[in-house]
Amino acid sequence: MLPAAAPALPARTEIRDLAFFPEAAHQCGPAALATVLTWSGLSATPDAVVKQVYSPALKGSLQPALISGARRHGRIAYEIAGRDALWQEVAAGHPVIVLQNLGISWNPVWHYAVVMGYDQPQQTVVLRSGQTARQSMSFHLFDRTWARANRWGMVVLPPSQLPATAEERPFVAAVIGLEKARQWPAAITGYRTALARWPKSLAARMGIGNSYYAMGDLAAAERAFREAVSFHPEAGAAYNNLAQVLMAQGRATEALPAARQAVALGGPLAEVYRQTLEEIRKRLETDAAGESARF
Amino acid sequence: MKSKDWLRRLVCALMVVSLLFWSAPPQAVWAAWVETESVLNPSAADSARARLEIFLARQDVQAALQTHGIDPREACSRAASLSDGEILRVADRIPEMPAGGSALGVVIGAGLVVFIVLLVTDILGFTHVFPFVTHRR
Repeated sequence: MLPAAAPALPARTEIRDLAFFPEAAHQCGPAALATVLTWSGLSATPDAVVKQVYSPALKGSLQPALISGARRHGRIAYEIAGRDALWQEVAAGHPVIVLQNLGISWNPVWHYAVVMGYDQPQQTVVLRSGQTARQSMSFHLFDRTWARANRWGMVVLPPSQLPATAEERPFVAAVIGLEKARQWPAAITGYRTALARWPKSLAARMGIGNSYYAMGDLAAAERAFREAVSFHPEAGAAYNNLAQVLMAQGRATEALPAARQAVALGGPLAEVYRQTLEEIRKRLETDAAGESARF
Repeated sequence: MKSKDWLRRLVCALMVVSLLFWSAPPQAVWAAWVETESVLNPSAADSARARLEIFLARQDVQAALQTHGIDPREACSRAASLSDGEILRVADRIPEMPAGGSALGVVIGAGLVVFIVLLVTDILGFTHVFPFVTHRR
């Protein structure tokens, strides 16, 4: 049933000013993605995203393709599952891409639509779907088609915003996806958003340093790792990357104690820390040899 | 002729060496760097990603991808922007993962089965069949 289970939510809601891209033949994935990307503040069209998400041979778009498509535009792609999450996101004003099976289990007809509202008294769900700008569907029918696709959904947000249903690990993992898509400024914003809610997240602090490092901003990376070691003095990984970033700036002497601390702390990545320490020792030896040769 | 050959080899060698350095992302320069993902999930360093990359780089796989209208470079960049967790899930679930198409679609298509069979036999050990949509309009 509709939101009854969550009394804190409004009885009816509908997201206004949502772009509408009438779907071309089996292009529901690009149309849905362009709709939410535009909502998130980008100027996107289905034509612009089609190459990134659409697989011609499948005549459709796979879910991971939609996820990575959103990330390549510097947007957080956060998956949701189940009805409660869907109502919460829509009530928070976040349009949700949903996968429906409009056929039956043994003859599936997969379709992406965007949920833009619901009406609890009327028991309806409002969708942007295919050629229809505003489709009001009975909740019962919608839920049957959605359940056949395991009630999969996804919100696409600017990295400065948290999904209404955000949890720490999956959210940080979604930001890591941005980092992997080489969207480093967006990833840094995403990690900061995570830290505002979960200040103890070591991964988010490390992610900031790693993203700055990938951008080539060594000074900012160093600041991030120094912050990481001060918040997490137990984290060898933070000392390890601090040592590496100091070394990258030609400061092997300063890197040495950080690398030693990482090795002393140990943990599952201890082998990596030992390797860092080894690199630094070698560097110092070469430097010393260079010095003595000069005199 | 002989000196030309020699020159060609030198140019080739130089290009290979420069490509090796040029294409390496900063993290790859040092093996002893800790990625954000390893912080979140240190135990899952098992690399489904590496397997997938090797898989996608293979010539026969690239040919199969092209046959089915997928640009191999596009496939690689899609794969690269997924997290390890998602890569693992893709590896586990590709056969049952639906592609959303049109509401008018019906299920047909033996060609795709070839692609899946390729996946099945060659790398990930899949055991199901990919549900997919094709269009009859």
